[in-house]
Amino acid sequence: MKNHRILSFVAVVLMFGSVRVLAAEVKVIANRSVKADVISAGDLKRVFLEERIALGDGTHVEAVLEKDGPVHEAFLRECLGGTDDDLQNYYRALVFSGRGSMPKELGSDEEVVAYVEKTRGAIGYVSARTNTAGVKTLVIGDNSNHEDRKLIRRVEPKYPETLKQLGIGGTVHLRVTISAKGNVENVELLGGNPILAESAINAVKQWVYAAGHSRNVVEINVPFDPER
Amino acid sequence: MCLWAGQAWLNAQEFKLFDRTVQVHGFASQGFVYTNGNNWLTMDTSQGSAGFTDFGLNMSAPLTDKLRVGAQVYDRNLGQLGQYHPSLDWAVADYRFTSWFGVRGGKVKTTLGLYTDTQDLDFLRVFALLPQSVYPTDLRDATIAHLGGDIYGDIPLKHRLGDLSYTAYAGHRSDSIYSGYPFYFSSFGAHITSFGGLQYGADLRWNTPLKGLLLGAARLNEDITGKGSAINPFNPGAGLVPYSEASKADWANQFYGEYIVGRLRIDSEYRRYWRNEELSHNTSESFGDVRGWYVSGAYRVCKRLQIGSYYSRYTVTNVVAGALSAFYPPATDTSLPANHDYDKVITGRVDLNRFWNLKIEGHFMNGYGSGPYPNGFYTQVNPNGFKPNTTALVLKTSLNF
Repeated sequence: MKNHRILSFVAVVLMFGSVRVLAAEVKVIANRSVKADVISAGDLKRVFLEERIALGDGTHVEAVLEKDGPVHEAFLRECLGGTDDDLQNYYRALVFSGRGSMPKELGSDEEVVAYVEKTRGAIGYVSARTNTAGVKTLVIGDNSNHEDRKLIRRVEPKYPETLKQLGIGGTVHLRVTISAKGNVENVELLGGNPILAESAINAVKQWVYAAGHSRNVVEINVPFDPER
Repeated sequence: MCLWAGQAWLNAQEFKLFDRTVQVHGFASQGFVYTNGNNWLTMDTSQGSAGFTDFGLNMSAPLTDKLRVGAQVYDRNLGQLGQYHPSLDWAVADYRFTSWFGVRGGKVKTTLGLYTDTQDLDFLRVFALLPQSVYPTDLRDATIAHLGGDIYGDIPLKHRLGDLSYTAYAGHRSDSIYSGYPFYFSSFGAHITSFGGLQYGADLRWNTPLKGLLLGAARLNEDITGKGSAINPFNPGAGLVPYSEASKADWANQFYGEYIVGRLRIDSEYRRYWRNEELSHNTSESFGDVRGWYVSGAYRVCKRLQIGSYYSRYTVTNVVAGALSAFYPPATDTSLPANHDYDKVITGRVDLNRFWNLKIEGHFMNGYGSGPYPNGFYTQVNPNGFKPNTTALVLKTSLNF
């Protein structure tokens, strides 16, 4: 009976948790020299297109890619808006016209984590389930008016114990409205497991950003890794 | 086994030097062209020609977080052009202060529209030959690079209006004596020994808020001088006399757009090139007006197969004033095949792996636009005169690592 309830629970979680499942399987990681906790989707794209070699706070950054696989494909589709062939041609155009270099390409999540950990400024992406001890996870925010809103108080979400024991993780995708004063005014669920989302929303509502000139809307990913 | 070994080698292209990672990249391509009409691109294509080879090798390394250096050697043979005389394609020191401002100096690839700086790199595209109305491969030296410097940057626009990318440049252009223009002049008994001069301009492109849509405009100004010797047209028996030509007004405007949606890519560009030159020590003056545009589409059918097509339209007019006008009647009627080249193209590309591709391409050309500014068709390889139509089959294979 207990097993039946667990299976039903898992089925419900998987069914509702399938929204934006590919995006939810990827998390963006950075070397600890990267000061920012949040990176806008636009800046993340510019880093991977070698249009940015430093973030707004002056931190040097460089992109690290996976060679192939579903995590790589999902990242390209969700964050860069193209295929691996498009990206390779983009880099080749830079390399052969003297405008840039090929970024580091590695064969697995573990290799990416190891490289990012030891390389100053490195930013990469791995499966949400990868053990990322030694590096930091960046929250992706899409700042609507390009004004950097630094996160100054972050409350970590509580991981529901049952899901953690079952090894269920993923990333919750949220749209957050930040007031000019820096308080979180509204949180909207865009995708992810609904049970993890409830925990993420409760935490994000307590976040505080630096004051800005106006209200901002950002999109963020909150990862849940059952092995951490 | 050979393919596997080759692929493994192609993947390994970097080494450490003084604790810096040096990247090494290269490419090579080999083409075959057969035409049923005129000989094309200085090759004996009516018999089928494989004189269509090029390759390049570069090394680059970051010296600091913001400073990167590198250089590329390029060599080619295209029929009578190039003739395997290697050239320094680019050699740059690039310092990026911030995302919106960087400086690069040395021999720098010229930014002019979508493909000027990458026109040699056919492995980046579906097509074996770019539209010749805007990117004439026989005249690549005219726009490929300058010895000087660029400023450049990317500026995100507020209110979700996209991004602007700009490049402004100035430097010295120097054409190889094995390029198309000196070869064209040799048909008059002239021998160009130097051709080049100041080149400056700017390119501005807008990544619009509509995902995949890019719009741009570019301007190029030149002050070019050509020197050499030529047969005196007034007294051919007197032998060679010094020849010169120099720009009075020499510029190009280019407007372009690119739209990528899913597996489909659509490009279109327009270039107008205006040449007002003083000839033979200011005894004459020429006014040339070259206009070209194209629309192309490319579609990725599956990971290994792409197809594409374009329509390319080229017209040229020229008027000579002064002493030489008696030898060069005005060419102003662009409906004549001598003054235009309309090219319909279909292409298929197969990627054998990440580094190696094969292409097959058909060109259906009306006109031969043979002068007074060359565009692929030359009298030296068509001694019996030109036919109005030319159909060409192009096969090409490219490797890169």
